[in-house]
Amino acid sequence: MALKFNRNKHNSKIILDGERWERRLQKELMSLVREPPPGVVVDSDQGENLSLWTINMTGAEGTLYEGEHFTLQFKFSPKYPFDSPEVTFIGPNIPVHPHVYSNGHICLSILTDDWSPALSVQTVCLSIVSMLSSCKEKKRPPDNSFYVKTCNKNPKKTKWWYHDDTV
Amino acid sequence: MLVGHQVSLEELVNEYEGDEIYLQKVIDLATKYASIRRIRPDGNCFFRGFGYAYLEHLCKHRDEFEQFLVSTENNKERLLGLNYPEFTVEDITDGFGNVAAIANSGSKGIPELHRVFNDQASSDYVVSYLRLVVSAQLREQEGFYKNFMENGKTVEEFCQTVVEPMNKESDHIHITALSAALNVAIRVRYMDRSSIPGVNAHDFNGNGTNGVPTVHLLYRPGHYDILYPRRPVQGAGWLGVDNTDSSSD
Repeated sequence: MALKFNRNKHNSKIILDGERWERRLQKELMSLVREPPPGVVVDSDQGENLSLWTINMTGAEGTLYEGEHFTLQFKFSPKYPFDSPEVTFIGPNIPVHPHVYSNGHICLSILTDDWSPALSVQTVCLSIVSMLSSCKEKKRPPDNSFYVKTCNKNPKKTKWWYHDDTV
Repeated sequence: MLVGHQVSLEELVNEYEGDEIYLQKVIDLATKYASIRRIRPDGNCFFRGFGYAYLEHLCKHRDEFEQFLVSTENNKERLLGLNYPEFTVEDITDGFGNVAAIANSGSKGIPELHRVFNDQASSDYVVSYLRLVVSAQLREQEGFYKNFMENGKTVEEFCQTVVEPMNKESDHIHITALSAALNVAIRVRYMDRSSIPGVNAHDFNGNGTNGVPTVHLLYRPGHYDILYPRRPVQGAGWLGVDNTDSSSD
């Protein structure tokens, strides 16, 4: 795995060995490869750049998604873990679920408003597995067609409906 | 800048020129405090301000540093005991520890503390650590804190939505919990548009410590900055006696 250490312009004194966010991601990747949540497969080779990960997921036994294969994409900014990762389903099979839009965007509060640096890729994967597993009926969100036509490419730019509770 | 330089309270006086209510309060404040350090208003200002003021205090009181290390270690155990994910507890505690270690070099570490608090990632590790400590305190004392929840939120939901996430503003609950968790006395001076003359002090006395507050903060609606008390010997003529005379009764 190759790490790029060229972003360290300002504070060379405290950071010796790659940026802290890259070191955290590297550690998260190792631990996820070693102990993945059930149904999750992560390749330790995520390419040149640790800021983009692809994670494979298989629907759990006894759920509506049993045997289905999905692919999740995680995008990280240098502000990780203080800034949430951008997480979407990609590829040919996007799960049909009331909180997953057909363009792969996921409506899950920990991905935006309730994200905290105490969470991790592992906890996000677990939440998504549990979101799929608890589903009672396979259907798209009611506003799917409108949303996918009008939304920003980045799901973090969406003001999700769950904001209504707090704003 | 995330954390500004320590500046004289006179700057605040200038800021409120022409605003009678605030001006009167600033002048009252200036009889008690010599200077202010501004914190970026990004929703983390209470935690960032507290973290800075507390670590700066430790730089000046190195004898308290050993005890501080013990309590940091205890907090880590508490977090793990409450089932926060081990990976992130380690990461955040380490990130905080890297900054806190500066206090071990005593007063000469203060310029370094200032530099590191203005490095976004290092500074945010301090904020997120203190947020976790508050969250742990609330969960441990759930029976007490549930009485203060609004809109039918549980303590756990409160922690997940307004304590642990970054940039969520703090109120009395956060301050009470942090003061108790770290056993650090905090005095908050409230300055708002109310007609009450002067700036009220709200004291948060840690675990019942009844001493001199370690950290002084100024609260203006939606925002906290750090305050530095005057030395016990008060300079009589500071700020211009003429102004203070006409505005006090």
